[in-house]
Order: sequence, then C-alpha cells, then structure tokens
Amino acid sequence: MAHFNRHPITPWLLMAPQLIIVGVFFFWPAFQAIEQAFYIEDAFGLSREFTGLTNFISVLSEPEYLETLWTTMVFSFSVALGAMALALGMAVLADRVIRGANTYKTFLIWPYAVAPAVAGVLWLFLFDPTLGILPELLSAIGIDWNHNLNGNQALLLVVLASIWKQMSYNFVFFLAGLQAIPKSLLEAAAMDRAGPWRRFWTITFPLLSPTSFFLLVMNVVYAFFETFGTIDATTSGGPGGSTRTLVYKVYEDGFVGQDLGSSAAQSVLLMVIVGVLTLIQFKYVEKKVQY
Amino acid sequence: MATLTLKQLKKQYPNGYKALHGIDLDFGEGELIVIVGPSGCGKSTLLRTLAGLEDISEGDLEINGKRVNDLEPAERDIAMVFQNYALYPHMSVFDNMAYGLRNRRTPKDEIQQRVSEAAELLGLTELLDRRPKQLSGGQRQRVAMGRAIVRKPQVFLFDEPLSNLDAKLRVQMRLEIRRLQKRLKVTSVYVTHDQTEAMTLADRLVVMNEGHVEQFGTPMALYDKPASKFVAGFIGSPAMNFLDATLEDASEGSGQDATLALPCGARLALRPETTVIDTVINNTLTLGIRPEHLDVLETDSPLPKGAAELNVQVELVEPLGADTLAYCRLAGQTEPLVVRLDGEHVVAEDQQLRLAITPARAHLFGADGRRLTTCS
Ligand SMILES: Nc1ncnc2c1ncn2[C@@H]1O[C@H](COP(=O)(O)OP(=O)(O)O)[C@@H](O)[C@H]1O
Ligand SMILES: [Mg+2]
Repeated sequence: MAHFNRHPITPWLLMAPQLIIVGVFFFWPAFQAIEQAFYIEDAFGLSREFTGLTNFISVLSEPEYLETLWTTMVFSFSVALGAMALALGMAVLADRVIRGANTYKTFLIWPYAVAPAVAGVLWLFLFDPTLGILPELLSAIGIDWNHNLNGNQALLLVVLASIWKQMSYNFVFFLAGLQAIPKSLLEAAAMDRAGPWRRFWTITFPLLSPTSFFLLVMNVVYAFFETFGTIDATTSGGPGGSTRTLVYKVYEDGFVGQDLGSSAAQSVLLMVIVGVLTLIQFKYVEKKVQY
Repeated sequence: MATLTLKQLKKQYPNGYKALHGIDLDFGEGELIVIVGPSGCGKSTLLRTLAGLEDISEGDLEINGKRVNDLEPAERDIAMVFQNYALYPHMSVFDNMAYGLRNRRTPKDEIQQRVSEAAELLGLTELLDRRPKQLSGGQRQRVAMGRAIVRKPQVFLFDEPLSNLDAKLRVQMRLEIRRLQKRLKVTSVYVTHDQTEAMTLADRLVVMNEGHVEQFGTPMALYDKPASKFVAGFIGSPAMNFLDATLEDASEGSGQDATLALPCGARLALRPETTVIDTVINNTLTLGIRPEHLDVLETDSPLPKGAAELNVQVELVEPLGADTLAYCRLAGQTEPLVVRLDGEHVVAEDQQLRLAITPARAHLFGADGRRLTTCS
C-alpha cells in the first residue's frame, strides 16, 4: 500500500486554483455590486455617498424597469419553451435515424459552437428588411416585416436567434435521455396497444422529465444572462426598448448611462429573481419528476 | 386460445445478417411450447417476429389460420413478458397492469376488477401501490406476468423470463408459470437457453441451432430419440457421451446385424436402417450414450446379451446426493466418459469399472450429425 502524506494544507493547495478563479471573477465582483448598490456616486466617480435602499426604491418605481421585467419574462419563457420543444422534436427524429445518424447529430450540434453575436448577426441578415430573403418571402404572404420599426417583430427575431443557438445544447441532452430509455419499454407499450403518439406522451415524455427539468433551469438561466451578445448584435435592445432584457438594461444604465448605483442595484435584483425562479422550479417541478 | 402456424419463416436483419432460415412449426391450442437453444441461435428473433416487433422477411405466420404478417403488434392480441421485465418505472404496479386495458378504453370498473383478479392470482394485492423499483426481482417478474394476464390475450410470449432470478426462485417461478398456464389454457411460447427449464415446462419442445429448428416434439421424444447429435448433446443433464465408432461387416440387405467397432476395442451389435448402410459403412460415426444408461457390472457378473463392455478408470467423483457422477477415462478417447451412478454406489478415484452399453440405449449419428438408426 502506498503511503500518502496527509498534511492538512494539501487539499487547500489542490483546490486553490479553482478557488482563486471563483473568488476573483465571481465573489469579488458580486460583493462589489452588492456594496455599490447602496451608494450613489458622483458623475466623475470621485466620491460616493451611502444612501441605503434609495437605489432599489428608485429602480423599482421606474415604469421602464417593470416593462423590462415583463419583456424579460416573455422573452425567457419563449426562448426556453421554444428551444426545448424544437430540440425534443429533433431528438425524437434523430433517435429514429439509423443510417448517417452521426452526420445528423454533428450538424445539429454545430450552432452551439457559434458565438452569440455571430448567431445574432446571421439572423439579422436573414431578416434584414432590405437585404434579407425572409422579409421578401413574408411580403408574398402579406406580412410586412421590419424589425427596426416593429417591436414585436424585433422581439420575435431575438427569440428566434436565441432559440437557434440554444437548441443544440438541449438536443444533446434530450438525445442522450431518449437513448437511455430501454427499447423494451416502448415495445411493451406497443404490445399493450399504445400507438406512437400515446407511447410518446405516456412513456417517453414522463421518463424524460428529469432531463426536461434540468434543461428548463439551464434554459431560463441562459435566456436571462447569456443572450446578451445576441441581443446586442441584433437589435441593441430596440426599437424603443422592446427587446431590452434585465441584463441588457444593467449594461445600458451602468456602462452607457454611467449610473453605477442603479446598475448595481439592478444586478442584485437580477440575482434575486433568478435565485427565486430556480427555487420555485426546484420546489414545484422537481417533486413531480421523480419516479 | 389460438393455434400458431409458421411456414418457411425467414428473418434477415437490415444489416444483412440471416437469423432465421426457414422455420416450419405448428403450435396447438393451449399448448405450452418451449424454444430452447444456445445463446445467439435466434430464439429471441423468432419470438419477436411472432410478436410483430420484427418484420418477417419471408414466409408466413398464421394465428388461428389467419395470416398476420402485416399486423402491428397491438393488433395481434399477443402479450409478451420481457427478459428485463420492461415495467414502466414511473407507474405503480396497478397502473402497469392497467396500462394495456386503458389503451383499449376498457371501462374503469372492469379494469379494477381484472387487475385485482390478476393481482390475487399472483399474490400482488399488497403491492399494487408500489413502484417497480420498490419490488424484489421475483415480484417484478410477477408484475410482468400480471400485465400479460389482465389483457386475456390469445397468445403469451416469454423471453427468458426467469434468467434474472436466483436458482431457488427460478425453480419456484417455473412451477408457478406451468400452473398458471395450465389454468388459463392460453397458447404460450416460452424461450430459454436452460435445458432443465425447457424439459420441465414444455408440452412440446423446439430445439434451435443457428437459425434452424433441429427438432420439435415432446420432451421425452427428444430425450429418447434425438434427431441429431446437437439435440442429443443439448437435451439431458449431464450431457450425453459421444464416442467415435466405425461400422463394419454389414451384409447389405440381408438384415444381419452390423457391428460397431469402438477405438477401445469393444464391439457392439447394431442394426442401422438398411437404406443408409451403404453410405456409412467403414465411415467414422458417432456413438452416443447417456451417463444414466451406462450400467456398471460387478467384477464377475456376465455381460448381458448383445451388450458391449467398456473397461474404464475413474478419474473424478462428484457426489450429488441422490446420484453420483463418475468421470472416467476410456482408452482411445480424449473426453472423459461420464457415468451416472446411484447415490449409494460407492466409487473411489482411480478405481477400475466394468461398464455395459446395451444397443437399445445407444444412439448412432452420421458424420453430418444426423441420427442414423432407430437402435432396435
Ligand atoms: N437487430 C439486429 N440486427 C442484426 N443482427 C441481430 C439483431 N438482433 C439479433 N441479431 C443477431 O441475430 C442472432 C440471433 O439473435 P437472438 O435471436 O437474440 O439470439 P438468442 O435469443 O437465441 O440468444 C445473433 O447472432 C444476433 O447477433
Ligand atoms: Mg435472447
């Protein structure tokens, strides 16, 4: 038997790189943001004044903030549900393919490797009112597409771009989940007189629920935070704030508007919102998915 | 209840592999048919084509005389018990059993009644609210059977249903399946690779090898008259002994006894079917004799009429209680000769034994492995 020197410091040394990274890039900025949220800074950043909850109160009483909150909710749930439903459909189809399955899978996983801003620009070109192909096709069926003017269309555009980007991630997990379901269960159900549709909803879908739950959490977090690049490259939050999400507003107020106190207070609120959402999901959804 | 008829049934998998090469079988109403054969011989493939889970490549499958090749599994009115049970993990025992009935829109109170009847029959009444993962292996097995029973199908299919259970439970469940099948009188096809299970369960037995049917008949018919060396070696435990032998001195067509010469020098008077004599004379054949059919002779007792004598040396003794197996060495033979003795018969290792083979107990197989003689 080998003998290991169990010095009490060794584990800490081994964990140090990870701890330092998390500390420097996560805990320190988070702490700074929380601290900042309680101060108002002058325009030159030379002095600041402790103001208690003033920043929070002014953020929450701002109608624009509540509008942004609503936009974010609509955006996030559209993205999460859309990306999950499409990915599930594709995974079910890919699961049935036998020949050339790997080629399909590779193509379906590709969008994940594309940078968010590039994904945004790609969709921007497709839907560009003067250059794009799609507005031309849409006008043929009587739809006048211009996301630079129409807020709903702009929102739809960023939702589509964000869904496209996230679908690959969901696809991989759903496919793995589908392949983990023993074939004999579906065969037994087929012999039990369940048609393909009924088999899917009574066997496959319930057995995928742990995967779906995990993906729901991941997709909501993605829609809240990681779609920044897509939005910035596509619509920059416009027109008229119709695609402005909470994260985008943090950036606008903090970096563009230089209102660091308000921006910090919004960051803190954002953390709280995501925390609460995740808690709700764990408490109510996860209970149903265990078998 | 139903009859099942297979006519020149062939199966080729999409990758080109031919798993079944023309199966002809006919199962009667209420029969318990066991399909037995070594792993990979196509038993599951055959069962799955009956179920409709695999397409039939060529040939016909008939249920009650009606061709069902193109019917979906659900339309064939067949229930199957899978090797891994395939219970729905997210449903209770009750829901597992009720699933098939609900899919046919059976009225609620009838579902309730049928499930509790089946649960009663299988001793599952206390467990109806449990999930499959809260059950033992034997209980899961019962639920899988219950799920098949409640539907009152025309045919039951079982794919090695007991292979995941321990030896004792296996024997118990084997009896229970036999009892249930006799009570419900549903035509059943049962697949196993275990020849003991096959012998004890079957009304009639199908022995398969490499996608062919080697023989089909009652267990005792297969034991008494194996159609091939393969069946002879597969049915019966411990397995039949095989000895090289040469056929000599038969006067063609005269009906006289031919003589079988063994490498150890012993000779056995045998009368093969006259039609085959020409082709096998002076060829190397295989003589088969079961361990329980080798008689031990006392040192000075005379050899029975027509019998051949073998002198062997005991190499290893396996006392099993009721029986004792002696592994013996015979001159000119590499494989040990297995002899089954009465448990009271005391033998020591290195002891010499005099054994007698009577022609009536001997089986003769040609170079192609087919049975040659009726061994009168
Ligand atoms: N889906 C399949 N595709 C190709 N070959 C298969 C498939 N399923 C089984 N086989 C082959 O068919 C043969 C018979 O298999 P199987 O019926 O499962 O044997 P058994 O149940 O007797 O052990 C095996 O050689 C197996 O490799
Ligand atoms: Mg098998």
